[in-house]
Amino acid sequence: MLLPIPEEEVRPFEPPPEYAELRAGPRVVRVACPTGIDAWLVSDYEGVREVLGDGRRFSTRPGQAAHVLSAFGAGEKPVEGSAETPVQSFAQTDGPEHIRIRRNFAPQVSHARRLAELRPMIEQITDDAITRMLASPQPYLLHSQFSTAITTAVIAELIGVPGDRHHLLHDAATALFTTSTKPEELRTALEPLWRYLYELIATRRARPGDDVLSRMIEHSADSERPLTDAELTGMNGALLIAGFDTTASMITYGLVCLWQTPGQWERLCADPGLAVTATEELVRYLAAGTGLLRQATEDTRIHGQPIRAGDYVVVAVQSGNRDPDLHADGDTFDLGRKPGAHLGFGHGAHACVGQQIARMELTTVLGALARRVPTLRLAVPFEQIEWKKDSVVRGPVDLPVVWS
Amino acid sequence: MKVALERDWCIGAGNCALTAPAVFDQDPDDAVVVLLDDSPPESERTAVEEAIARCPSAVIRLLS
Ligand code: HEM
Ligand code: SF4
Repeated sequence: MLLPIPEEEVRPFEPPPEYAELRAGPRVVRVACPTGIDAWLVSDYEGVREVLGDGRRFSTRPGQAAHVLSAFGAGEKPVEGSAETPVQSFAQTDGPEHIRIRRNFAPQVSHARRLAELRPMIEQITDDAITRMLASPQPYLLHSQFSTAITTAVIAELIGVPGDRHHLLHDAATALFTTSTKPEELRTALEPLWRYLYELIATRRARPGDDVLSRMIEHSADSERPLTDAELTGMNGALLIAGFDTTASMITYGLVCLWQTPGQWERLCADPGLAVTATEELVRYLAAGTGLLRQATEDTRIHGQPIRAGDYVVVAVQSGNRDPDLHADGDTFDLGRKPGAHLGFGHGAHACVGQQIARMELTTVLGALARRVPTLRLAVPFEQIEWKKDSVVRGPVDLPVVWS
Repeated sequence: MKVALERDWCIGAGNCALTAPAVFDQDPDDAVVVLLDDSPPESERTAVEEAIARCPSAVIRLLS
């Protein structure tokens, strides 16, 4: 069979219908993927959690989206004129090498105390964006003018990238996440960002600031192996690229889900404090619809199915999150649901670096909109929403909205 | 209740400290998990079990 891909215009918010049967039946089946590789498709909660949780047996070496993105990996080429070493994609390493990098991220983006420091910045950016929106003509394009503007401002502020360079990360992310991008197009789109980051690193080495990049340089300086320019470029590039469109799409797609599921938006407006559980439920319900890729490092089994070393494995995260093993009523969207151990931010050593920041952004934005713009709604019938088809980050292309 | 850690695999994701702040903290330097109390009271059991489920790296173990 072919790898099932979500079809939002037919079945919005839902994983492809094949998955319910696969979960109840074979759980692990052979599929052909859009990029031409064959893989084992794992569809149930326990299986997805097992594969993602075991980086020793299941490596990210081929790239987490190489089953749907044909150019994936083509970006790690040397940057002409700036360094001999290629920009390293830490996300495609495993084991102690990968953990070393993650420990240089963690104090900047996932330490509880650091997050408390970031909250006022995120609240301010959100409030300013809502004020700008309310002063704009209607209908208003929510995804491009609001969601993307907020999440770009947050990640750029974190790393200290000025507004006149935001296009660099937008171009890089569009090329990286679009399924039809060719390898040479991807390189062309990434190179200006890599080049800019090399310059920024040199500047910050000379004159450190309070941004994530300066903190990473300083933090690793007295370690056994300080981070190289290539590593810093890869790490900060990953934050910039992975940091805005994922979260922006979750805001936009999430709002459509809240509006289209009877009673949910009204409930949030009556009690904006529910933004915390709503965030968790949206990520459980909608994230990673096209699944994640791993490669077996040894002969092994998943649910008894023999897997050979070198075989590809696709884990259907969205399907796993609907499994009755996680929540008996997993196909029901309930914004007040007590959060369970869902896999929407991944699981295992590669679990999302930015998950605490993404949670804070989503919670802040949903809560603030429910408080300040409870009349916010679609400006067009649902059927007229145009959906991204050629991207691994799912959701509307843009979203015309009105308020009163 | 007895709790133990395998800190080598911790990626500092912080879910434990957010879920069970009375039991787990994070090192200020590398954000790796720190056990505040290796024998927390029974009243913390639900929170600790939740932290175990939400830890991406299987770092936390419940020994009793
Ligand atoms: C709602 C928003 C987001 C969702 C649903 C999401 C989802 C994910 C998932 C599922 C993975 C795991 C990939 C795998 O295991 O193969 C991941 C990894 C990653 N995410 Fe996120 N993410 C979001 C926001 C962010 C933000 C805001 C940032 C940056 C600040 C970020 C940076 C990263 C990075 C760098 C990785 C690679 C980690 C590694 O391989 O070690 N993400 N994300
Ligand atoms: S949740 Fe797990 S990986 Fe994250 S900080 Fe706690 S122990 Fe470490």
